[in-house]
Amino acid sequence: MESERRRLDPSAREELRQVVGADWVLTDPDQLRTYECDGLTGWRAVPLAVVLPASTQQVAAVVGLCHRMGLPFVARGSGTGLSGGALPVEDGIVIGLSRMRAILSIDLENERVVVQPGVPNLEVTRAVAPHGFLYAPDPSSQRVCSIGGNVAENSGGAHCLKYGFTTNHVLAATLVTSDGRVAHLGAAVLDAPGYDLLGVVIGSEGTLGIVTEVTLRVIPQPETVKTLLAAFPSTDAAGEAVAGIIAAGVVPAAIEMMDRATIEAVEFAMHAGYPDCGAALLVELDGPAAECEALFGQVVTICRASGSEEVRVASDEAERALLWKGRRGAFSAMGRVSPDYYVQDGVVPRSRLAEVLGGIRELEARHGLRVANVFHAGDGNLHPLILYDRRSPDGPERAKALAEDILTLCLEAGGSLTGEHGVGRDKVCQMPKLFSITDQAAMHRVRGAFDPYGLANPGKLLPTPRLCGEHPGIYRPHPAELAGMAQRL
Amino acid sequence: MRPGALVELAGVVGSDRVREGSPEDAPAGGSPPLVVRPGSPEEVGEVLAWASSQGLAVVVRGGGTKPSWGAPARSCDLILETLGLDRLLEHEPGDLTCVAEAGMRLDQLQDRVSSVAGHRQRLMLDPAQGGGSTLGGLVATGASGPLRARYGTARELLLGARFALSDGTVARTGGTVVKNVAGYDLDKLLVGSLGTLAVVLEVSLRLHPTPEGSRMVALEGISPEVAASFCSRVRRAPVAPTLLEALWPEGTVLVRFDGSMAGALSQAGVVASLAPGARVLGEDEAGQFEERLRGRPWEGAGSVAGFALPVSRTGSLLELAEEGGLVRQLSLRAGLGVGEARLDEHPESLLRFRERVGALGGFVSAHRHQGPGAGGLDPLDPVAAELALAVKLALDPSGTLAPGRGPGGS
Repeated sequence: MESERRRLDPSAREELRQVVGADWVLTDPDQLRTYECDGLTGWRAVPLAVVLPASTQQVAAVVGLCHRMGLPFVARGSGTGLSGGALPVEDGIVIGLSRMRAILSIDLENERVVVQPGVPNLEVTRAVAPHGFLYAPDPSSQRVCSIGGNVAENSGGAHCLKYGFTTNHVLAATLVTSDGRVAHLGAAVLDAPGYDLLGVVIGSEGTLGIVTEVTLRVIPQPETVKTLLAAFPSTDAAGEAVAGIIAAGVVPAAIEMMDRATIEAVEFAMHAGYPDCGAALLVELDGPAAECEALFGQVVTICRASGSEEVRVASDEAERALLWKGRRGAFSAMGRVSPDYYVQDGVVPRSRLAEVLGGIRELEARHGLRVANVFHAGDGNLHPLILYDRRSPDGPERAKALAEDILTLCLEAGGSLTGEHGVGRDKVCQMPKLFSITDQAAMHRVRGAFDPYGLANPGKLLPTPRLCGEHPGIYRPHPAELAGMAQRL
Repeated sequence: MRPGALVELAGVVGSDRVREGSPEDAPAGGSPPLVVRPGSPEEVGEVLAWASSQGLAVVVRGGGTKPSWGAPARSCDLILETLGLDRLLEHEPGDLTCVAEAGMRLDQLQDRVSSVAGHRQRLMLDPAQGGGSTLGGLVATGASGPLRARYGTARELLLGARFALSDGTVARTGGTVVKNVAGYDLDKLLVGSLGTLAVVLEVSLRLHPTPEGSRMVALEGISPEVAASFCSRVRRAPVAPTLLEALWPEGTVLVRFDGSMAGALSQAGVVASLAPGARVLGEDEAGQFEERLRGRPWEGAGSVAGFALPVSRTGSLLELAEEGGLVRQLSLRAGLGVGEARLDEHPESLLRFRERVGALGGFVSAHRHQGPGAGGLDPLDPVAAELALAVKLALDPSGTLAPGRGPGGS
């Protein structure tokens, strides 16, 4: 009940205003509602206040106040996360980093860029592209999602198959600890002395403190990019081709798979001109021209040997964009063919892709719901979209049950709970499926070393007995998604 | 060690797995420790639980190839050898992944994963100490060699691990798939922690295929300035080297390309045109150069230090090596600004080298050193140092593992 909600202590509110300026402390319920969820809209909570600091010192002062008052805090970047990592806690505050969006320095000789956490991912590449460089991690929400959020989630993207994840591209970070101290982790060069604390902070989903400055590695743009779309009669055949490519030792920059349901939706919604087939693979190779040519021939041969009926090769940048158009638009296209969908994020060993996709088909039949598959096949990261109608009496429950069964299938195949969306609030109660109580206890110990009072993003990533009796609500599209700004993977 | 300890320990793991150590097993000046070689991950947990309950200091040992990395342990009552854990548990050639016990030697693993019909794979780590290093040791030290230029260190290759804490807890982190963000990435904490946080029991690793073709380019007898400018041009050229190594005092830069034969040849041609005197080597000559890379810069007397500095300052480091005196031999991964140097035998060499590299914006860590300033696992930032100590205390509250080597002398 609104009236029974705890309110922010007036003296705390005053102090926060003094730190960041009165305009940047939001306590009006209508304003707070903007922050009630992230990209996982089924979970919602209204915080006591939202504070928007503009510097490391301000973040440290705000967190210091939280520490003194025992007030939980949740850091938030652009709010595009898909696991509820930035879901507020009702008796705490949200610290939004969106005002901290300056690129602080660019040092191309040493291939590094220093940014504030609110800088959108794509802005980094934009800043260095004129000089022939790029920032490799490219989550699909890269126009909107922030570097701070990428660090919290260890974000990947379609091209992480070759280039690795955020953790492989961060040299240093400034961390405001849960008691308001400022730590400098890592260094501007490799091999900073001491434990790799930065490596643990990356992917810790805001539970070990707040990152307020990040030193990123940028890399030279590849000489050549070659892209093909191969049509297959079935996902089995496409899965076999993926396994063949990986086993041959070819490391494409990206291998994306779309099944028939996805291709049909894409054709219906945007007429991308994809072939009518059971499954399509989008394969992209990049690097030195001669190496690319040689590997490209190998990939085409493997696709044909696995039963590909048609291989289309992009001959220029415009054709490449066209091949990617359907893939990039797949999620919004799904919104056109199904009233609702839930996106799962699981990982399987690449050699077992075909088998798990077969298992998903059996689950579809058993649950009586359709599943569309569009995902990062090269690293075994599945994104099944479970199509349902929330107006049907048990639609959401059946979708959720199917999503959980798919995850179980992934884990039984030796995979993981999440490849890139994170655990957040969404999967916190499923952590025991992957990690024993003992494993979790070791993680709790590390959390305790950083945040002994459990104030930094409580209730995320690691399960607690109190947490796991609740159920998430149904999926509702995030405003950024509706606006076509961001997609759900 | 107090009398009776050996018998108690034999009660934990069986008498065939415990022995009295020799004087060589003891850290400088100490009395010989006991040596235990557990036969299973669970036994490691039991040994650690027993040792911490007895207040004993435990030092972990794998292949024993890097005993001198980091600060020496203040005391050592028990050496825990991992060599009894040497099984390959899984190898999925189609996934390019494997899971092995931590006491397996690198050369054993390479033999196993390269011999599957139709799949010639390798773990792409080439530490100077060679194949006698164990997988656990490679994680604990983060050791790597010239291949780091393309494949990274254990940090990039480790997908998951099973480890034992000093209270006997046996836990897992990560997984066996190449993409995974579930839970904290404790793998990263293990890499380079020098046996001070946990005993690594099992590692899940990413493998790579053995390339079909390879070509090496050499530029010899050059000045530091020429070397720096050549390396800089290589970095800006449309090529992807597997290694880019500057060797001093020889005044040599080596660049190797692996992949398809056509790709390797073409890239080698591009790089050979970047400087007068640079040439593409034939197979035999390339083999001889590979031989020279092996074991550098460890052969000979003097401290050995790892270093890291901004790539833009590597020319100045080569100048220092050219001067002679302080730096005897140096291997620089020129694209990354990291490498190892063997120093003059003077006891203060390490301190002087640290000062010089520090002035260039870099860091130095002792890999072989007797004398002052070995340094340990101390970050420069005071708050980071507090966090590091808190992590050490959280995972090894009894201070059982290599006491003195951890942050703040913990």
